[in-house]
Amino acid sequence: MKLLANLRSEKPSAPGVHPKPFWSLRPRSDREAGDAVVSNFLLHWFPAKTYKPSLDWTYSFWLGTASAALFFLLTLSGLPLLLLYIPSVERAYGSVKDIEYVVTFGKWIRAVHRISAHLMVAVVFLHLVRVFLTGAYKNGSGRGQKREWNWVIGVVMLLLTLFLSFTGYLLPWDQLAYWAVTVGTNIASSIPLAGPEIRELLLGGRAIDQSTLLRFYVLHCIFLPAAVGVLFAYHMWRVRKDGGLARADRQALLAEAKETGAVPTKTYTLLGVARGTAPTIRTASLEAPDLTVNAVNDLVRRIAIVVLGTIAIVGMLAVFVPSPLEEPANALVTPNPAKAPWYFLWLQEIVTITTVKIGKFTINGAFLGGVILPGILVTLLTIWPWLDRSAASGAGLWFAGDRKKQNAVFLGICLFILVLTVVGTFMRGPYWHFYWPWQAWPEIPSRI
Amino acid sequence: MERRTDSPYPKLDRPVLAVVGLLLIASTILFAWSDRRHDWRWYQAEFRKMVAEKYGAEKAKTLPAGTQQIWIKDLGNADRCITCHQGILWKGFEKADHPFRTHPPEPLKAHPVEKYGCTSCHGGQGFSIDLETAHGPVPHWEEPLLGQRLGEDYSLVDDKKALLQMNCNVCHRYDRETKGADFINHAKRLVNAKGCRACHVINGRGGTIGPDLTWEGDKAAEQFDMTRLSGQRTAFAWHVAHLKEPKALAPDTVMPNFNFGTKDAQSLAMLVMSWRHAPVPVEFRPGVARTDPQTADEIAEEQRMKTGPGAWFVKTGCFVCHNISSLGVKSPAQIGPDLSNAVEDVQSRFGRTLDDFLQSPTGTMSVVLSRQIVLTPEEKLVAIQKVREAYAEYQRQRAQAAKAAPVAARAR
Repeated sequence: MKLLANLRSEKPSAPGVHPKPFWSLRPRSDREAGDAVVSNFLLHWFPAKTYKPSLDWTYSFWLGTASAALFFLLTLSGLPLLLLYIPSVERAYGSVKDIEYVVTFGKWIRAVHRISAHLMVAVVFLHLVRVFLTGAYKNGSGRGQKREWNWVIGVVMLLLTLFLSFTGYLLPWDQLAYWAVTVGTNIASSIPLAGPEIRELLLGGRAIDQSTLLRFYVLHCIFLPAAVGVLFAYHMWRVRKDGGLARADRQALLAEAKETGAVPTKTYTLLGVARGTAPTIRTASLEAPDLTVNAVNDLVRRIAIVVLGTIAIVGMLAVFVPSPLEEPANALVTPNPAKAPWYFLWLQEIVTITTVKIGKFTINGAFLGGVILPGILVTLLTIWPWLDRSAASGAGLWFAGDRKKQNAVFLGICLFILVLTVVGTFMRGPYWHFYWPWQAWPEIPSRI
Repeated sequence: MERRTDSPYPKLDRPVLAVVGLLLIASTILFAWSDRRHDWRWYQAEFRKMVAEKYGAEKAKTLPAGTQQIWIKDLGNADRCITCHQGILWKGFEKADHPFRTHPPEPLKAHPVEKYGCTSCHGGQGFSIDLETAHGPVPHWEEPLLGQRLGEDYSLVDDKKALLQMNCNVCHRYDRETKGADFINHAKRLVNAKGCRACHVINGRGGTIGPDLTWEGDKAAEQFDMTRLSGQRTAFAWHVAHLKEPKALAPDTVMPNFNFGTKDAQSLAMLVMSWRHAPVPVEFRPGVARTDPQTADEIAEEQRMKTGPGAWFVKTGCFVCHNISSLGVKSPAQIGPDLSNAVEDVQSRFGRTLDDFLQSPTGTMSVVLSRQIVLTPEEKLVAIQKVREAYAEYQRQRAQAAKAAPVAARAR
């Protein structure tokens, strides 16, 4: 009773102790109200004002927001799956079958999770392409900007997204999963010197078994999402600290410094300014009011459109696109063809192309296609902001004039990857033979 | 106050947001509908009507609603077939259409549904509660329903439903003859008659010219060379064609053509396809000797006691505890006293005559004779008679020994 009385009492029992059991929405003074506003994280998630051009649909295509929405959907749809899926070699497959066939909404939840995962890989990649083509990793007009580091974080997040998707791939413990992981970890073992050790570290042993499943499960459900979550928060924070999208820099450069009406910019209490009861110092605004809108509602509304739109589209796709589940994993039977996940198929394609047989000798392409080439590409991608010597004015501009050459090379590589991915996904049949889309694959035999 | 800029956005963005809202509602309705549309709801309602018509509304109320399953932990099977096939154990629907039909009761006597489930015999996908995915064929589910439709696809001779017998033989593989599995029985006779073991190891025994067939049924379809196979491209079809004309599928093979008829080839294909590693616990398998093995000496000794003069004591079970040394009966346990001199022994132990004691025993024997070896009054008379015979033999042997004893003493 005493405790209850304490909870009810308005007076703090000691300085700094909050007198009520729950958060109070009734500040007792303007100062308290001002402090509450300043320290509220959610109110500062977005800037107060946004440059209008940054909101354009056709500048950013809102791909980063869509990625975040997909990550949110993945986390949300992953929670029920976490309770339904059993990470054991004997029961994983059966539990996924149960989710698919008898759990209420289970099929839909799994489809949402799967489609979001595939879309996230694609959207994150497109986001990276957009940032490259607009030179958005470049520092523009602001002082102390560190856009290049945000680019590096973005590259790391792309890799994490791929790894998240790959670890999720194993969990159903079907043939697709088992052999995708076999292909993937065999490529890892072609790394010179430490290859077999790296494979053993990934698998938790020398064969794909319970320890592999557990490793991938824990990575997939705890460590990787946590890493993506933390990096995402930092990514967003850096965007704010670097002055918003790179395009805003450009607009700020172009905009003539116009004298605006005097606005209160310095004060002693926040609410005093709003009510006009506090002394304020009035100066001309540094922001160009013609170029900005209030973040609430214009930015928030657009974000709502993108996030909710993504959810609606994924939700509908999930009804109509079934999630595959192949036969239970069988170490004795290799499916033909054994394919890696689609986003790694361009690498598998390179591995196949560069595996050359000269007489009796076989040069294994796994090292070149699986290690060297992606290694070089990722390294180049990471350090590119420091190699790019183009003018700062190119930041936030689609196809800037002095970045023509690097954009062309970048697009060339993207196209190369895209073509190989399409070939690997749609035009490789049994024994990795090439088939045109209109050519039928030989019928795959079954048991009975 | 600060000057507010006019925003051009709300005019277009608000309708767009509204459309997104409508899409969200549509998506919600869609997924709720997709989860509701399973056919089993209709089948359950229909069967309820049928039961109500035949047995009254009270009976119909006892029918379970919602998804049903038989979970057999030992086999790892969760069979949800009974969600729609609700009539299998109901009498009176023998002529009804599937899925309402009564299961023929005969096979269920030895294989109760609650112990064996459905798919361990019938195949099919027990996980599923939808028509197509449960019965197959569906991609990536290699165990289609072994029913009439599949049998028709393979043009089985005589009995279109015979494919089911493959699953009989997963458990019954070491039987000589399995009731109801005619194709399998026929194939097993052929295996012996044609001497398959001359070249193949089967169940761990046989020649090494051909491949070991002990686990032939586990081979994946990809492991067969189907380039010369016409028609269905399945492991089963391959076996049928290969048995009929081995060289047609594998030109280099040394396997002779046995001129098998279609039924022979189909039976044999079913037999080899049934040779699979199935995680069947021992209590599910017939014919497995569930006892500790005896040595040849032990068996001979038991046989001797069963046919010797003490046979009655062995048959009745006295020998479990008692030796009857005079008749050559040796107890494995020897918990009780030797019955050879029971006539004297009972007198000295209990102060009662043998007849009296057996009529109303005390102590351990009262428990044994009331629970384990229950004898009728007539049988008790026989027992007294037998014990007296043993005593007579005991006395005879003792007298003989006494005659021989002085000789032995002299020799010393």
